[in-house]
Amino acid sequence: MKAIYNTLFKRTSTYAVGIMASVFFFERAFEVGSTTLFESVNKGKLWKDIKGKYE
Amino acid sequence: MMNAVTRAYLRAGSQTVSNVLKPATVASAQVQRNAHTDLQVPDFSPYRRESVNTPNRKDDSAESRKAFSYMLIGAGAVGSAYAAKGLVTAFVSSMSATADVLAMAKIEIKLSDIPEGKSVTFKWRGKPLFIRHRTADEISTERSVAVSTLRDPQGDDQRVIKPEWLVVIGVCTHLGCVPIANAGDFGGYYCPCHGSHYDASGRIRKGPAPLNLEVPAHEFPDDGTLVVG
Repeated sequence: MKAIYNTLFKRTSTYAVGIMASVFFFERAFEVGSTTLFESVNKGKLWKDIKGKYE
Repeated sequence: MMNAVTRAYLRAGSQTVSNVLKPATVASAQVQRNAHTDLQVPDFSPYRRESVNTPNRKDDSAESRKAFSYMLIGAGAVGSAYAAKGLVTAFVSSMSATADVLAMAKIEIKLSDIPEGKSVTFKWRGKPLFIRHRTADEISTERSVAVSTLRDPQGDDQRVIKPEWLVVIGVCTHLGCVPIANAGDFGGYYCPCHGSHYDASGRIRKGPAPLNLEVPAHEFPDDGTLVVG
């Protein structure tokens, strides 16, 4: 905790860069996670699930 | 450090004091303040963090406490940056062409429908599009033309991807009429409006037009199809 504060949060420059860098990972994780959740809730109703019936 | 309770107590106390003193000696209405060292400061220790519970203790937890606060603020900043990016992306992408426009912007042509020696006209982006299946004869004729003798010097290999297939926009470069296929002195296209003659590579050979017929961007994804656009 102390080390994180001293290296990252103490200066505004490192704090801002840290936020910008973590947005990339957050975005990827959030989008993959929400897509997985959506597909697991709607399992069996999606086109990729019923595609086999029409081909 | 004073809290609301002590302050209210002090005010009440000073009023009683001044009321007592006023008629007697002190002429001015100045409030006299006493020490009140006997006042009990309420005990807030159940509400305090463990690290700052005793006032005399040397505070070495400031960094970890600040780190926690900044962590929360930073998490909020990450979330709002993500939201802002989504908003900006939505507005910017709303400026791009819609799906129906993009679908009309390309045309896919089955080449087996066009017999050799024929020129077929399609409509593409509101303009006529000529696809010509050239014969071996036409190809060798166009290849042998000296580029330096042309008004708009372009070799045949610069204008076609596959020599058998000529793809040009059927708009005369003079004043925009639609030329007639397989007509004119050079066996290619002939514009009836002012008599421009184009050869079987769509190049201007005779007449008022200044430039060759325009070749649109096109590709052959496989042997039997042509995609223009």
